[in-house]
Amino acid sequence: MRAAWPRPAAQRVAALLPTAVSLLVVGVVWEAWIAVAGTPVYLVPAPSVVAVRMSVDPGYFLGQGAITLAEALGGFLLGTGVALSAATAMAHSLVLERALLPLAVLVKVTPIVAVAPLFVIWFGFGVMPKVLIAALITFFPALVNGVTGLRAVNPGALDFLRSVSASRREVFFRLRVPSAMPYLFAAFRVSIPLSVIGAVVGEWFSADRGLGAVIIVAHANLDTPTLFGAIFTLAVMGIGLSLAVSALERRILFWHESTFIV
Amino acid sequence: MAAYVALERGYFAEQGLDVTIHHSTGQHLQLLLSGDVDVTTAAAGSVLKRRADPGVPIRAIALFGQRGQQTFIALADSGIDSPSDWEGRTVGYRISLPPEYLAIADAAGVNRGLVQEVRVGFDPRILVQGKVDVLAVFKSNEPDTLRKLGFEVVQFDPSAFGVPALGLTYIAREDLIAEDPELIARFLKAALKGLEFSFSHPEETLNIVMRYAGKEDRDHMRFMLEAEQADAVSAVTDAHGLGAMTLQQWQEFHDLLVRYGALARELDVAQAFTTQFLEAAYEEGRLVWP
Repeated sequence: MRAAWPRPAAQRVAALLPTAVSLLVVGVVWEAWIAVAGTPVYLVPAPSVVAVRMSVDPGYFLGQGAITLAEALGGFLLGTGVALSAATAMAHSLVLERALLPLAVLVKVTPIVAVAPLFVIWFGFGVMPKVLIAALITFFPALVNGVTGLRAVNPGALDFLRSVSASRREVFFRLRVPSAMPYLFAAFRVSIPLSVIGAVVGEWFSADRGLGAVIIVAHANLDTPTLFGAIFTLAVMGIGLSLAVSALERRILFWHESTFIV
Repeated sequence: MAAYVALERGYFAEQGLDVTIHHSTGQHLQLLLSGDVDVTTAAAGSVLKRRADPGVPIRAIALFGQRGQQTFIALADSGIDSPSDWEGRTVGYRISLPPEYLAIADAAGVNRGLVQEVRVGFDPRILVQGKVDVLAVFKSNEPDTLRKLGFEVVQFDPSAFGVPALGLTYIAREDLIAEDPELIARFLKAALKGLEFSFSHPEETLNIVMRYAGKEDRDHMRFMLEAEQADAVSAVTDAHGLGAMTLQQWQEFHDLLVRYGALARELDVAQAFTTQFLEAAYEEGRLVWP
């Protein structure tokens, strides 16, 4: 076993090869299927048509994507911040956990598309409802993993800190937070793509900007190349965010076994 | 509604058709184009827009909405009594800015620079919460929904401002029209028979609709039926029968859409609809049955 970071450039390229090949195969099969079946573009566009649409006006997709990205990151930071604050309180108090966890589950099981229109009514047409929906959808993974991680301390280390009369604050920052980090990064890997979905859902209901708005208008106009262009941009955004979290995890948790490869 | 009546009253069967009605939420056109259904409903504006871009091969075979489905509402106590009152206010629309709105604003001399226009989706509560002052809605739906919530509204119906918008149509694919015109003719005749029945037997029509409407409120269904019936008649239908349409109607609507940038390109309007099935169904303005 050895640490995965930093890896040689050649090894990183080799690691991406299977993904690139599988994407290429899917693209080729998709393109061939459209050509053979003669499927009209207003039902399903060929990948080449989507590529042309995006290459004609890349600034459009980048600009709309930047809006969605900002909303998603805002929601992620807000949802995660609130979740970690609640997790800290819940990790220290069983009563608080019993009081708050059912509410968190309620938030988790609430269909976002059912409450999104209400967020527009409550919070208007600006960025706020999109950020809040993104926050709502990212809240639960950070909360659950936060509580679990903050409690998953080494008993021996905890006994040692108590034996030297460490304060709760010292125990929290020197033991609980480091112990929770692997759990938190596992949550972030789940919740950061979810934040993009939350922002898009928010844009469906009121925005005139952002990739969610692009999707709604393109769908209404049977403009499938633009629709798939927006989906592709979202996919790239989600993958990029996930990779960024993984890279950050490897940098911060270089000492932890979760960043090792066998 | 005409199709439900035709199905339940056996009009399709009398025409030798075994019809299944599929429900969809906003996928009508895609289902038609993919061949999953043979006939569907579509707004006349959508027929023209989608023929212009991306150029889908569809044609209207009957026009049930002689006037547009869209209207604009404000709360009765908002002090908004005419389009000129829209200045300094917020107007909400669903997906894209409706050409009917632009036409009313033009006709009434509204300075749109003083109007905030926002996309607000489909929830009419946005109006009663004061997030918008004027809202684009379907005239057969939201005015009654809000009235039931205790909010009276004033309407700005585009037709009252001389805006020549058209409403709901039945459409079919051009290939099916060419390959099996008899099928389309029999379908439309039965549907027109159903529409006629709905006018003469509104309560029985509601009984039929409620079988498919699940938990919908019967009074609201009645409102919808009455609103759609009101828009289904015009001087054209008086002369030629329900569902009738003319080149002039379509041309005026097309020109409206072009003027306000709602069409990607100008069209040969005559190709967007056909009256061949209506002509086969009627004789001197009376439906020939069976």
